[in-house]
Amino acid sequence: MEFTGRRKSIAFFIAFGVGLISVILVLYIGWILLAWRNGWLLLLGVLLVLMIICGIMLNTIFLVREIRRNEQHDAFINAVTHELKTPVASIRLYLQTLQTRPVDEAKRADFYRIMLDDSDRLLSTIEQVLRTGRLGAGSHKPELSRVDLDEVVRTSVERVRNLHRVTLEGLYYEPVGSAQVMGDPDELIAAITNLVENAVKYSGPDVHVMVHTERTGDSFTVRVVDRGPGISKEELKRVFRRFYRVPGIASRIKGTGLGLFIVRSVAKRHGGRAWAESEGPGRGSTFAIELPVAK
Amino acid sequence: MSRILVVEDEAHLAEGLRFNLEAEGYQVELVETGELALDLLRTGDAPFDLLILDVMLPGKDGFAVMSELRHRGQFIPTLMLTARGHADDVLNGFEAGADDYLPKPFELPILIARIRGLLRRREWLAASIPATPPAPEPRETFTFDGKSLHFDRLELHVGEEVFPLTLMEANVLRYLIERAGKPVSRKAMLEEVWGLHEDTDTRAIDNFIVRLRRYIESDPTKPRHLLTVRGVGYRFVSNPGAA
Repeated sequence: MEFTGRRKSIAFFIAFGVGLISVILVLYIGWILLAWRNGWLLLLGVLLVLMIICGIMLNTIFLVREIRRNEQHDAFINAVTHELKTPVASIRLYLQTLQTRPVDEAKRADFYRIMLDDSDRLLSTIEQVLRTGRLGAGSHKPELSRVDLDEVVRTSVERVRNLHRVTLEGLYYEPVGSAQVMGDPDELIAAITNLVENAVKYSGPDVHVMVHTERTGDSFTVRVVDRGPGISKEELKRVFRRFYRVPGIASRIKGTGLGLFIVRSVAKRHGGRAWAESEGPGRGSTFAIELPVAK
Repeated sequence: MSRILVVEDEAHLAEGLRFNLEAEGYQVELVETGELALDLLRTGDAPFDLLILDVMLPGKDGFAVMSELRHRGQFIPTLMLTARGHADDVLNGFEAGADDYLPKPFELPILIARIRGLLRRREWLAASIPATPPAPEPRETFTFDGKSLHFDRLELHVGEEVFPLTLMEANVLRYLIERAGKPVSRKAMLEEVWGLHEDTDTRAIDNFIVRLRRYIESDPTKPRHLLTVRGVGYRFVSNPGAA
């Protein structure tokens, strides 16, 4: 409710600004028609007015951007609150259940498993947020060492398989043998886990994800191909922004809007890049990360 | 045995709630989305005594589900359970029509106590209604201008024809008839008939009135019984000729 109210006032002020600019233009054109014989003075005036108009326009664009960013930030805080509180609520619920009620052996084992899953989820959210903090600060360069990319991919895939209980066929991974890159194994695992996890998360109940690595010239490219909801052309770049979530999907699938930002930052820090490809909504998508071969 | 509908999309929490509520002796039904819950409550095949509603749901959120239910005239006792514990969120919840609101993480004994409280209140209410002397005997029929309203059967008889009324339509008519001749504000109707305290959406009432006029007016475009009082609301006149 508050949200739409704010939207309305923003729309009003933008319309107001546009209105004022048009008034200036009309007045000015009128003035030119009246005083066109004044030569270079007129030219100077035209330039000044154009500058003022440009200034107002830039100002408005900046404002709108800031507002949008602010909204995304709010959404992010909400999402993180939810992602942190839900597993805690669940763990507490089960602990209090165990504390106050007789629970048979089988149920008890079930409860322990659920609590462990929840603590994993909690931990992964915390790590995600902390990692973003570290990457965002733009601080130190990562400590680079020789890393086998194939092993990084395998570790990430296995992690996601365990976390989301995906079958071997559902999340298929193709080993490539040795693929040496220079990198920080921790960051690389985090980035590739994010890609694989996204693919699984957005696929819905019917998971068909393929992960494969290939060498092209001086770099390795890891591709994660899914048959999920796909992405429209305009969104392909935006999804890597911090806090950004594709409108509409955000209410169905939970997330913080940090995962792909981390992927892109890690790729950049390693001298590589990350991008997304999709034939369009409903036709699956491919996320790729490219890293230079170790020399 | 009380039946509880739990709307929660987080599987772990939902299962934990189910285990505990069943241990308390309640019958529990789980659904993952607000849409499913609304469908389940609409058909009413299996009536529920209590609704536990999460806010952050895929699709329609808990607030939307809550206010839709209340606008539909379904007043099932509802406890909202959510990770959003800001004062604003709590107020939103109550404004949408929730009876109680508990932020996550919650204390299990407190949750159980609140559920018991809501169910107990429902039982007390049910018990107290026949106990109180029916002071102003609720009118079961009302006749005006050759038409008769049967509140008990939810029917309107016009000559030979019989129109079925919904419970809400009957309640609105009854409310206006009890105050026949006096103007009644939209806000009062929302509060007294729907039990809602909102400044917004009084237009829902206008649609209602349009529908009612179709039943009781011979010419709905020139109403004689259900009159609009500009800037206020509506007025019922049973015998326009005499006034």
